[in-house]
Amino acid sequence: MNLNRRLRNNSGGINGSNTTRWFFVLPALAIVICLLIYPLMSTLVYSFTNKTMTKTTFKVIGLANYISVLKDPAFFSAFGHSLLWTAGSVLGQVIVGFIGALSLNQVKNKKIQNVFRICAIIPWAFPAIATAMVWKWMLNGIYGFIPTSLVNLGLTNEMLQFLSTSQLVMPTLMFINVWFGAPMILVNVFAALQTIPQDQYEAAQIDGASSRQSFLYITAPHIRTVVGLLVVLRTVWVFNNFDMIYMITAGGPAGASSTMPLYIYDTGWTGMMVGKASAASMLLLMFLILLCVLYFLVIRRWEKED
Amino acid sequence: MKKIFSMFLAALLLSTCLTGCGDSDSAGGKNSQTPQQANSSDSGKALKGEITFWHCFTQGVRMEAVQAAADSFMKDNPDVTINIETMSWGDFNTKWKAGITTGDLPDMSIAQNTGEVAEMLNAEMLAPIENVVSAVGADRFSENALADMTKNDTKYGVPYYSHAQVMWYRQDLLENAGLSVPKTWDQFRETAAELTKDGVYGAGVSMSPNDLLCTRYLNYYVRSGGGSLLNDDLTANLTSDLALDGIRFWVDVYQNCSPAETINYTVNDHATMFYQGITAFDFNSGFMISGVAGNREDLLDSISCAPLPVMKEGDPYYSAETTHIPLVIWKNSKHPEICEAFIEYLFKDDNYVEFLSAVPVGMLPSLAGIADLDAYKTNETIVRFSDEAAVITDAVNNGRAIGFEHGPSVQAGLLTSQGIIENMFQDIVTNGTDVAEAAKNAETRLNEIFSTQAE
Repeated sequence: MNLNRRLRNNSGGINGSNTTRWFFVLPALAIVICLLIYPLMSTLVYSFTNKTMTKTTFKVIGLANYISVLKDPAFFSAFGHSLLWTAGSVLGQVIVGFIGALSLNQVKNKKIQNVFRICAIIPWAFPAIATAMVWKWMLNGIYGFIPTSLVNLGLTNEMLQFLSTSQLVMPTLMFINVWFGAPMILVNVFAALQTIPQDQYEAAQIDGASSRQSFLYITAPHIRTVVGLLVVLRTVWVFNNFDMIYMITAGGPAGASSTMPLYIYDTGWTGMMVGKASAASMLLLMFLILLCVLYFLVIRRWEKED
Repeated sequence: MKKIFSMFLAALLLSTCLTGCGDSDSAGGKNSQTPQQANSSDSGKALKGEITFWHCFTQGVRMEAVQAAADSFMKDNPDVTINIETMSWGDFNTKWKAGITTGDLPDMSIAQNTGEVAEMLNAEMLAPIENVVSAVGADRFSENALADMTKNDTKYGVPYYSHAQVMWYRQDLLENAGLSVPKTWDQFRETAAELTKDGVYGAGVSMSPNDLLCTRYLNYYVRSGGGSLLNDDLTANLTSDLALDGIRFWVDVYQNCSPAETINYTVNDHATMFYQGITAFDFNSGFMISGVAGNREDLLDSISCAPLPVMKEGDPYYSAETTHIPLVIWKNSKHPEICEAFIEYLFKDDNYVEFLSAVPVGMLPSLAGIADLDAYKTNETIVRFSDEAAVITDAVNNGRAIGFEHGPSVQAGLLTSQGIIENMFQDIVTNGTDVAEAAKNAETRLNEIFSTQAE
């Protein structure tokens, strides 16, 4: 009897017990609405209006903001820079982090492994502002340690302008981002490597498998899901990264390092065109959702294969 | 009972969360009382309430001087609390503009210049400040400064301190090279180029879009030729022959006399070069003195300033840019009467002189009569740099804010806050874009923004 009543209560329908459950869910729902749905919906709504930063009134203007954004050469330039910045940074981080993890995995002494792991994570301990300032100072074209050292070592004839020439600025920023992000890949891949059963390697060795074959058929399948998830996360984070580029170059010179988040910031905050900035944000969101869907399809396929 | 309690908790949490989501009726909704109304209703009563004051005086001495005045005011008015929030100059503009939407605005604040007051007025965010002007004395303020913050015959800001742009130079470098202080722009360019050697650069030309230095420099040149960066109808003017000449002039100075790195420099990075003896010339206010004192005290005897160069010798004197740092009261303030009383308190002789002496010569008095007070004129720095103070004071008295030669306008404020002219310079230098084409593009962008932002 009691069981029947419980089942009836759980099966739906408006009665006291279910209403109470809804009220328990409400706080979480409210937080989601405030922190996710509201900003998203307000951005969507603003993207169809002529809202500016300094005016409280605005009117609906249809797709004008989207047309304006898609006609703006600066948007496509920023989009191109974002793709380059993301692809270069994530690829660099994965390669450096992966090689670092494989090397660390070869170290048999646990104490040494721990010391290396702690050292590797140091860049993550720095706040972005400190990282940006230190690199900016080291790369300064007047007195920076790196350009000065290159001249003193006779490797260059003049002070290299890492941050003020359009040819060097993006590779330099990507290098800094690789330095900053590779340790995270390293630590995670290293953790995944530790989970691979050693007997599989031993069995492969007995069967006469080469190191390359062991890597391809044992190591890679075991860690590819972890690496795939890391790549998804890093792609979204790096694509949306604002602080590092803003603090080092602010998108300069002449927009040579301006990425999508900087373009949106410039449009919305400096240009005060909130409507246009919202339209650019929605386009960015759509692109990232599409990218994530593709990534997850690949990861799902890997999981099925496993 | 449990059910009622859980429902109450959930409702409470929901209402708390949703409060943050509300599209606040902005600043205006908090209080519709004007300062005049508030004062008349409160006249004769002791002050009571809490206000927030935003300023950008991040240097220790200035911050301490303002805090000391607030503490002293609160001691005299025990029912008053003044919360001071300090932020960087770079963040201030963004912060108040965001505050219009979020409702996070102060009761009173400084503004970075009179151009910013025009922007605040365009957003209809300020309360009149006539009571303060009357109490302190309208005739004690600069007529130009008050005019720049007046709309429909009502004053919305008072200048807290003033300074102006002049040309700073290193006397020792000029003497060693057997050169004299340049009087024309051509002389300046030649002299700066000659001094660019042995790790010293003639002059920096900084182009970060996060600052206004290119606009400032171009404005010097255009004003010296009798032109303006705004047309009479308040549209941007970057394509006049004079403006194009000016752009070419500064690009040339950048390429021949400036470190390449300055393409990304803001005003602080830029000024630091002169403070540290990296550049021989710079254009700035009396803040240079404290900057050099803080970085290279040994250079203090070697620096001096002169009026801005002219087009050709014999041209009349001009001043291209005077900056008054205003104090304003925000329309949303619940206690405008406290703001007014506190501003009046800041202008009391003792408080005011103490504040100005935090950066002597850098911050010149905006009130007549202060410079004659013994406490002010006996300041060691003011005595030591009296010639320089005189040059800057002349510039203050003869100049206005960038673009204000057509009267106060939001376009003048937008001219300096958008970074568009700086982007134009970066484009020319980095991409080799033709000067006329880059100027036309920048002019179009500015006019687009003017049309969307200005009433």
